[in-house]
Amino acid sequence: MRSPMAEFLDYTQFVLAPQVLNGLSLGVAVILMALGLTIIFGLLDVINMAHGEFYAIGAFLALALGALGLNFWILLALVPLLMVPLGWLTERALIQRVFHSRERHILTLLLTFGFGMILEDVLKLVFGANTQKPPMPITGGTEILGVFLPNYRLFLILFGAALILAVWVAVFRTRLGAMVRAAAYDKDMASSLGVPVRAVYSGTFAFGVALAGLSGVLLAPIYSVFPTMGRDFILMAFTVVIVGGMGSIQGAVVAGILLTQVQAISSLYISPVWTDPLVFGIMVMVLMVRPQGLFGRLGNA
Amino acid sequence: MLEITDLHAHYGLSHVLQGVTLTGAAGEVVSLFGRNGVGKTTIIKTIAGWVRPTSGSIRLDGADIGGRPADRICRMGLGIVPEDRRIFPGLSVLENLELGLHQTAGRSRSEKREALDRVLERFPRLKERRAQMGTTLSGGEQQMLAMARVMVGAPRVLLIDEPTEGLAPMIVDEIFGIITTLRDQGLLILLVEQNVHRAIAVTSRFYAIERGQVVFTGSAANADDRERLFGTIAV
Repeated sequence: MRSPMAEFLDYTQFVLAPQVLNGLSLGVAVILMALGLTIIFGLLDVINMAHGEFYAIGAFLALALGALGLNFWILLALVPLLMVPLGWLTERALIQRVFHSRERHILTLLLTFGFGMILEDVLKLVFGANTQKPPMPITGGTEILGVFLPNYRLFLILFGAALILAVWVAVFRTRLGAMVRAAAYDKDMASSLGVPVRAVYSGTFAFGVALAGLSGVLLAPIYSVFPTMGRDFILMAFTVVIVGGMGSIQGAVVAGILLTQVQAISSLYISPVWTDPLVFGIMVMVLMVRPQGLFGRLGNA
Repeated sequence: MLEITDLHAHYGLSHVLQGVTLTGAAGEVVSLFGRNGVGKTTIIKTIAGWVRPTSGSIRLDGADIGGRPADRICRMGLGIVPEDRRIFPGLSVLENLELGLHQTAGRSRSEKREALDRVLERFPRLKERRAQMGTTLSGGEQQMLAMARVMVGAPRVLLIDEPTEGLAPMIVDEIFGIITTLRDQGLLILLVEQNVHRAIAVTSRFYAIERGQVVFTGSAANADDRERLFGTIAV
C-alpha cells in the first residue's frame, strides 16, 4: 500500500505538471495573439475580426515556404516580416477609409470580418481545405524535475515568454513605445508635437498582424494547418482580451495564463467538452462584475 | 508671418467661426479676448489642424496650412500649448519632453540631446522630477511641462490657450515671464487668456471675439482701445 503522500507526488509529477506545462505552451501562443488584438484595439479602437485569418496566413506561409526548403528558424524571422506589408496595406486600404466616419466602430468590425472571410476562402483556393501538418522542427523531449516535456513545447514556452517580454519592453520602455502610447491616449496632442500619427496607426496594425502570423508559425507544428484554423483560436484570444481588459497589455498576459490554465487543469476533472463553456463562463462573469476587464487600457495610464 | 483670412469652421451644424481675419508678426504677442464659448479655443484648434476649416485661409509664412494634418503643420514651425495642458498619462516627465523632439525633423542625436538639456536647465523643477509620471505633477508644474515640451522643438509660432487658469499668482508670474522671453527671442505668440489685465501687459495687439467673429481689434498701448476692450468683455 503506497502512502497518500507518494500518490500525491506521483499525481503531481505525471498528471498535473505535464498538463500545466502543456497549458503554458498554449498560453504563450494565445497571449501573442491577444497582444496583437489588444494593441490594435488600444491604439486604433478597432476590433480586428480578421486576426484569426492573419494567424492562419502565418501558418500557411510557414508551410509553403517550408516545403520550398527554408528551415524553421529562417521562417520564424521571415514570416512576420512578410506579414508587415500585408498588415500595413490592410490598415491603409480598409481601416483608414472609414476611420473618420461616425460609424467607425461598426464599419471597421464589419470590414475586417468580411476581409477575414475573403482571406479564409483565398487560403482554401490556394491550399485546399485539407488539413496539413508541417514537420516538427525540434524533436525529442527533456525531463525537468522528473516531468517529461517535448522539446518543442519547451522551446515554445521560453521563446514565447521572451517575445512577450520584448513586446512589453518595446511598448513601455522605448521612445517608439512612448510615441505609440501618446498617440493612443491623445492623437491630436501627439500629432501637434510632430508624431506622424497615421504612420503610427499603420505601423501598429502591421505589428499586431505580424504577431498573429508569428503565432501561426509557432503553432503550426503542434496543431494542424487548415484554412479555418483561426476560428477556434481567435475565440480564445478574444476571451483573453476581454477578461484582461480591452487594450491592456498586462491584462492580456495575466488573463492568457489564467484562462489557459483553467482550461488545462479543469480538463483533468471534467470532460474536455465542458472546458470551453467554463472559460466563456468566466468571461461572462468578468463582464458582469468588472466590464472594463481586469486591467485598464493602453494609453490610459 | 501668420495671416488668417475669413476663416469659417463648424462643429456639426453649429457655425462656430464666422469669418475670422487676423494677423501676427514675429516678435509679438497677439491676444484673443472674449467670453467663454465665443470661439477663441476653436480658432487655436483650427490653426493647429485639430479642427478642419470649412472655408477661408490660414497662411504661415505664405504657405496655406488650413486643413493640413496637425503633424505637418507642427513641422512647419507651429507649436501649441493647449487648454488643460494635455500631458500624456502613463508617460514620465522626460518621455513627455522627448515627444517634443518630433517637432523638428533632421536634427542629429547630439542636437536633440542639447535641446533637451537646454530645456531641463531652464526648468529645474522638471529636471528634478523627470522620472516621475507627468500627470502626478502639480497643476503649475504640468503647465511648465506643457511649455517645456513645445520649447524642445523651437517653434517660430506658438499658440497658447488659457495657460494660467487655476494657478497660483507666483506661477502666473513665471508663465508670463516665459511668454515675454519667448516673444523677445522673436517668436509670434497667439495667446488666449482670461486674465486680461495680466495678458494686456505683454500683448502688442489684440482681437475681441464675439460669437465666432472679430468684433474689434486694437493696440494694447492705446488707452482708448483698452477702455473699449474692457467695456466689450465686461471685466
